[in-house]
Amino acid sequence: MIRVERVTKRFGSTLAVDDVSFVVNPGEVVGFLGPNGAGKTTVLKMISTWLPPDAGKIEVAGFDVERSPLAVRRNLGYLPEHNALYEGMRVDRLLAFLARARGLEGARLRDRLAWAVERCALEAVLGKRVHQCSKGYRQRIGVAASLVHDPPVLVLDEPTHGLDPVQVVAFRDFLRGLRPGRAILFSSHILSEVAAISDRILVIHLGRLLEDSPVAALEAKARAAGRDLEGHVLEIVKAKGAAA
Amino acid sequence: MSGEAFPLSRPGGLSPREWIAGVRLVSGRELAAYFDSAIAYVYTIGFVVLANAIFMNEFFLTGTVEMAGFFDRLPLLLSVFVPAVTMRLWAEERRQRTIELLLTLPLTTAQAVLGKYLAAMALYGGFLAGSLPIVGMLLALGHPDLGRILGGYLGAVSLGSLLIALGMLLSAVSGDQIVAFVLGTIASLALVLTGNDRVVAVLDGLAPRLGAGTFLCESVSVAPHFDAFVRGVVDLGAVVYFGGGTSLFLWLGARLLRRNRA
Repeated sequence: MIRVERVTKRFGSTLAVDDVSFVVNPGEVVGFLGPNGAGKTTVLKMISTWLPPDAGKIEVAGFDVERSPLAVRRNLGYLPEHNALYEGMRVDRLLAFLARARGLEGARLRDRLAWAVERCALEAVLGKRVHQCSKGYRQRIGVAASLVHDPPVLVLDEPTHGLDPVQVVAFRDFLRGLRPGRAILFSSHILSEVAAISDRILVIHLGRLLEDSPVAALEAKARAAGRDLEGHVLEIVKAKGAAA
Repeated sequence: MSGEAFPLSRPGGLSPREWIAGVRLVSGRELAAYFDSAIAYVYTIGFVVLANAIFMNEFFLTGTVEMAGFFDRLPLLLSVFVPAVTMRLWAEERRQRTIELLLTLPLTTAQAVLGKYLAAMALYGGFLAGSLPIVGMLLALGHPDLGRILGGYLGAVSLGSLLIALGMLLSAVSGDQIVAFVLGTIASLALVLTGNDRVVAVLDGLAPRLGAGTFLCESVSVAPHFDAFVRGVVDLGAVVYFGGGTSLFLWLGARLLRRNRA
């Protein structure tokens, strides 16, 4: 489970995240939606322990990000924005390094590596260096790296960025398959993508959480207002964003 | 897929075994990165050829069976070679943005810093190992003072350790490899040259009342401490200077990395 309670983050005079609260339960896929610069990545970086919140509290799998950062990281699969990977490393060595760093060893290490390689279809590039892999493969390597230790919580920042349409569809199926028992939060600025995968949508703009609704409820509201989902979300951003 | 939360083996932290394993893991990855590119080979060959050539030139001129000529030139050589080794350690992580990946793994910042430091020390060990044929040659030619040679190597390890920790700190500060190299070279040269007699005389001459040259030589420079090792004297002051300096720079680096995130 991810629990974010009244979290605020400033960068100098800029209020990047303003009093944001939400929960992602096990078995739930939640899409984090907002325009560029809305504060999505800052929230995800705080969940990942990379940035400390200025105020508020974040828990991952029952562990506080500030008091128990190492326990949080053990229980978290995190795909950072830009999916930065060690360019010069061979893919198999990179995955083994990240798996070991997350506490895997022996037979479990081998089993989990085999699982991640098979599920992310990485067999063809295992012997290649990361910089020799295509964008699609790199993204799958990043996802495999975040999943290799079988974490109960998964946080993915723009996971489909750079993937072609076929890969995006495959990724949706893949993410749905990971849902049982896991709390999954992923960010995107593409509504159709978020709506296709998520059980619930969080809309953030100018650092404020404007909406936290199940996809079905949001679609019903949109229909009632005579708009499509995209138009409805844009209206929320305009109306609540202006009020904020 | 379990999806169940798994706690650390120890509440609130890592066990000593996990801690050491994490340091070894980072260290191994970093050392492999040196050897994956041409860096390790180019630097090692360049250092060994240059250091040994300078020594052999002096050896033929003086004709004495001792290694002082090798160790005397070492601080100046290391002022250039060590920043070249350390410049990438954090600056490259920032450039590639892998620093976020590394520091959101279940490792402490201290483990990451120590792992990288040990990798750089291992590479530096390769530099020094390249001078061992000189020891063999001296033993074949005569009876060199092995105590002084051992002291020289201890000094070389201590000096390298201090400069590596300093270079890592500057790599973490600058975020750019070239800037890290320039800053590291300037800082290392400052530590080395403030112990040079001529530099001390010039600085003292600029402000005789302050005695800045003498003060810097006695309090800041590596020279008096390193020279003690080369003379075969291992005194507590030198051990504290190099050990304390290394620890301070590593600690500052870790602190900076914890604070400077965005």
